[in-house]
Amino acid sequence: MQDRILEIKDLQIAYDEELAVKGANLFVERGEVLCIVGESGSGKSTVIRAITGNKQIKIPGGQILFEGKDLIPLKNRERQKLLGTRIGLIQQNPAGAFNPIRKIDKQFRETLKSHRLPFLKEELDKMFTSIGLKNTTDILKSRPYEMSGGMNQRIAIAAAMLMDPELLLCDEITSALDVTTAISVTDELLRVKNEHRTTIILVTHNLGIAANIADRIAIMSKGEVIEFDKADRILHDPQKEYTKNLLRDVPKLSS
Amino acid sequence: MIVKILKKLASLIVILLILSFLVFGLMYLAPGDPAERKLSEQGIAINKETLEAERAKMGLDRPFLVRYGEWLSGIIRGDFGASYKDDMPVGPKLAAGLKNTFILAFSSLLLALIVAFPLSVISAFRKNGVIDYIVRLLSFIGNSLPNFLISILLMYFLCIKLNLFPVIAKGNVQGLLLPVFSLSIPMSGRFIRQMRAEILDQLKEDYVTGMQGRGVKQRYIVMNVLRNSIGHIFTIIALQIGGLMGGSVVIETIFRWPGIGKLVMDSITARDYPVILGFVIVIGVIYVVINQLSDILNHILDPRTSL
Amino acid sequence: MRKKKRARIKIIIVAALALLLLLCAVFAGVLAPHDPSAPNAAVIRIAPCAEYPLGTDNLGRCVLSRVLYGGRTTIAATFLLVFISFAVGTLIGILCGYYGGIVDKLLMRVADVLLAFPQMVIAIAVAGILNGGMTGAMISMGVTMWVSFARLARSHTFALKNEAYIQAAVFAGKSDLYILLFHIFPNLLAPVLTQALTQIGTTMIGLSGLSFLGLGVIPPTPEWGAMIAEARAYIQIAPWTIMGPAAAVIITIILFNYLGDAVMDYREV
Repeated sequence: MQDRILEIKDLQIAYDEELAVKGANLFVERGEVLCIVGESGSGKSTVIRAITGNKQIKIPGGQILFEGKDLIPLKNRERQKLLGTRIGLIQQNPAGAFNPIRKIDKQFRETLKSHRLPFLKEELDKMFTSIGLKNTTDILKSRPYEMSGGMNQRIAIAAAMLMDPELLLCDEITSALDVTTAISVTDELLRVKNEHRTTIILVTHNLGIAANIADRIAIMSKGEVIEFDKADRILHDPQKEYTKNLLRDVPKLSS
Repeated sequence: MIVKILKKLASLIVILLILSFLVFGLMYLAPGDPAERKLSEQGIAINKETLEAERAKMGLDRPFLVRYGEWLSGIIRGDFGASYKDDMPVGPKLAAGLKNTFILAFSSLLLALIVAFPLSVISAFRKNGVIDYIVRLLSFIGNSLPNFLISILLMYFLCIKLNLFPVIAKGNVQGLLLPVFSLSIPMSGRFIRQMRAEILDQLKEDYVTGMQGRGVKQRYIVMNVLRNSIGHIFTIIALQIGGLMGGSVVIETIFRWPGIGKLVMDSITARDYPVILGFVIVIGVIYVVINQLSDILNHILDPRTSL
Repeated sequence: MRKKKRARIKIIIVAALALLLLLCAVFAGVLAPHDPSAPNAAVIRIAPCAEYPLGTDNLGRCVLSRVLYGGRTTIAATFLLVFISFAVGTLIGILCGYYGGIVDKLLMRVADVLLAFPQMVIAIAVAGILNGGMTGAMISMGVTMWVSFARLARSHTFALKNEAYIQAAVFAGKSDLYILLFHIFPNLLAPVLTQALTQIGTTMIGLSGLSFLGLGVIPPTPEWGAMIAEARAYIQIAPWTIMGPAAAVIITIILFNYLGDAVMDYREV
């Protein structure tokens, strides 16, 4: 029996009256990793924005079903309750996820208070340690601009994981990283996925990354999903010329 | 940080010195002979002897640099020289005017902020909404109105047509209202435009996406955005004080408000240079100090900004 | 793209209106029904009527004609001042940005000093001391106005100087003059011209403000600010003498400010 945690049906997304996504159909099953692969401008990040209810885009048509319930007509308040606790986001520049000039401590408290959750330092400490951050007390007292980009990135991932969301959206999180760091980040994601049975949607322009971790792959180009299937099928038997070209560019990675 | 502040202070003094030199030089080159003018005003016959005597008395016969040096050292001691018009010391005149100008300028600034700050916040957070359009339209119009025109239109409609206010300001609160309105209307327009743009810039920052992604409540997001904008908002306010000073000259003249602006206009008519010079120096010092303070405040509020 | 197109249409409409306004000022001689400076004791302060569409002032002069001729003064002075500031500022900015060195340091220091003081306060003091009519008023504002152009041109030149194609032109042995004229100037023209456009409104506010204070145009030359100042004395008996020039000032400033905003928006889309 299929358990589609998220399903997108005929989704159209517009920026300034221009369609950035022209009718996308996608789904991901619970516990899977779905990679949306495409070049910049293909509309892949726009899909993530639609799921998180970004204000700058308009959705003329379609549905985004999260556990069978459409997210598009949700009120701000309802969406706010869902985000963080059930749908997590690691944004394009994760290092910038926190206000650079306020103490991390305060910002974690605000996040937790927004969901009526208690601020438990032990839990935070556990999460920080698991992601390779030492000295929780020091970090909590610091402001993001005083710390390195890598550290901020880890804190952002920790923040996304803290409330144990069922679905984790990752928007081009590896694009700014070198290959080895990118792989260590994706490994981290895989570990999280296996431990918490989290479903992950990863948006990337790098089919190589997708080949490493995806259960399902969607190829997007010019606002359309041109190919969508199990990762194995896409990687070994691509149907579209575009996908074949993308595959040709992937350096052979040890699987 | 203290070293940086001291360095800033030093450059500030240099700036003030250069300006004082420029203004003094301009006055030196200005057409007309103040001594001749003074004599003719006092009804003393103008001939070579009386003119030379008067010039010596006013110190006009000495070389430029000596006069500049004396004037400058006087100012450092708080002595702005004597008025050409009535030989009274300029300092107390400026001080009296400044007090009234401060009342006018401060009230206008306060009113403009009370109007502009909430409106720009609402406008930015509800971008492209109905309120945003109305606020943008009004701020655009306000920004396009010269304050001399506003004051006259207000006078006409409120005083003459509706009879709500006296036409000539007396020193009381009622007399203060129209000048304050005239100054704060265009200032509010400029504040709204700049503050709205600043908040919109903040809303584009990554941390806002981050907070939304974590499901942080809207009121915390608003708070964070305002917290990060406030430094720049202080800078906006400090810069607008310059326009406020220029505007108050016009408004004080129209409403006969006994401030430093009216004093300087009267002195321009009388070609009373020491008062004009004193005015430029006093306003310059105030403006420069306010802007430096806002820089320091900005640095404290957002340590990423340089001092 | 659609947004860009709409922005362009907006600019064209507003620019056409602005042009119409300029033409009214240029052809004031043809359009004005009466001599703007000829007093007529027979028609003192009459309300707007068929013969005098905007009424007459204290000396029996036609307000409409004075508004038309006044527009000539105000608009010509504004444009001339903005143009001179633009030309001088851009030249200084390009030279400072391209050559750098001690002259650059010195001029930018001067710019700092000028920016460190409120523009209108300097203008009032300088115009007051100069006492030189409209020219004096223009000088008094020009003293500070060139700075914003110089800074903008300088920062653009600075950035352009290190572009590959300009480096290539340097290696190809092109003269500095050639590079400045054909590579740098065309590339910074758009932002600096936009800056000039946005300055028109503020300049007009400043100049008419100075005239209003009696530090600008010398009467009886018609000028909007001066007309308003003059008519203020008899606003109770003849409000139309103010409403004519007031409407002209408001419409003109709003139009040019809107044009500036529209062009800025267009460049941002």
